[in-house]
Amino acid sequence: MLKYTISCCFVLFSCVFYAQDKTTTSPVSEKDSIAISALENTVTKDSVAFKKNYGLRLGIDLSKPILSLTKDNYSGFEIVGDYRIKRNLYIAAEMGYGEQNTRRDTYRYTTDGSFITAGINVNTFKNWLEMDNEIYLGARYGFSTFSQTVENYTIYQEGTEINGVSGPYFEPRYEDTPVTHDSLTAHWFSIVFGFKVQTLKNLYLGFSFQMNRMLSTTEPDNFKNLHVPGFNKVYSSDTGVGFNYTISYRIPLYKK
Amino acid sequence: MKIYLVAFGILLMALTSCEDDDFCDKTTTPRLIIGFYDKDSPESHKDVPIYVWAENKDSIYELAVVDSILIPLDTQNNTTRYKFSTTNIIDELEFSYTTSDEFLSESCGYIAYFNDFTVSSQSNNWIDSVKISSTNIENETETHVKIYH
Repeated sequence: MLKYTISCCFVLFSCVFYAQDKTTTSPVSEKDSIAISALENTVTKDSVAFKKNYGLRLGIDLSKPILSLTKDNYSGFEIVGDYRIKRNLYIAAEMGYGEQNTRRDTYRYTTDGSFITAGINVNTFKNWLEMDNEIYLGARYGFSTFSQTVENYTIYQEGTEINGVSGPYFEPRYEDTPVTHDSLTAHWFSIVFGFKVQTLKNLYLGFSFQMNRMLSTTEPDNFKNLHVPGFNKVYSSDTGVGFNYTISYRIPLYKK
Repeated sequence: MKIYLVAFGILLMALTSCEDDDFCDKTTTPRLIIGFYDKDSPESHKDVPIYVWAENKDSIYELAVVDSILIPLDTQNNTTRYKFSTTNIIDELEFSYTTSDEFLSESCGYIAYFNDFTVSSQSNNWIDSVKISSTNIENETETHVKIYH
């Protein structure tokens, strides 16, 4: 915002100079202006662009294997990759697998499946010298194929109040025969915000945060897709969030 | 700068749009609604001082003077028997049904609907007759059973 205000000031100042230009003759002589343009030329020649490595970058998400080890209701992995097509533009994709068991008050379900997301990243970070780090914004299209298994449930029957104490009058029925809903699919769109830092030559550490919006799903009979691999928890407004911590290596192909 | 504004906007959008469905605020497994009507003029409600309980359980209504009651049905069985007592005269009704389990929402989970609903009087001491309005019990907005007395 400050930058914007400052550039506004510059625009206004230039207007002032312009207004003065009209009434007075230019103080800069022709000879001087030639000298200035020569100076500008040398300035542009000075700012030599450092060549960047182009190539295929492959990596894995570190958070998912760690979560698989530490949480007993989750297992998953994800591989990530991108390919630089312009200095600040990348084609990027992720694919992976996830199995998550979720326990709610009256029921428990397991979501199991694989996903792929693909799209672009645009680097907005201005690198100094030969640095090759990124602060990027990206967009993805995501697709998942998965199954939902309702492991068990108890009928939700609200309590009956007797003498000020509320509780179930009849014990509600409990069902523990797992019901699996197979070959479900989901399509979504996500916006990605992330960082990548080159720590060793061609080795990158990264973090990214995704905001997902569901486009379409095939819903199971008598259940709902409350969790989708790659999309994570589906909130009631059809949105979701995700993140990853990646380590990746760029296989250098050429420099440009 | 523009890019950060966009990022901030997106973040704001994400934070405000992730509503979680944490509390069940819907009607869950419907209770049975019984209305008490006058046997001589079947259109009009008639209050009754009543005790209501199922076998070996506490009373849900204790000397309540009402013209309609809400009672839960047993989801583990296909019949529920209730005793209705007024001025120490007891009548018993047996409700029969099948249940179908429906996934209502993330926070509510599964609830039961009652279908093929029938009622049979085990005795007729103070109850004159019983009529059912619908064979399916899927809400708590209408009277399901009418008792004339």
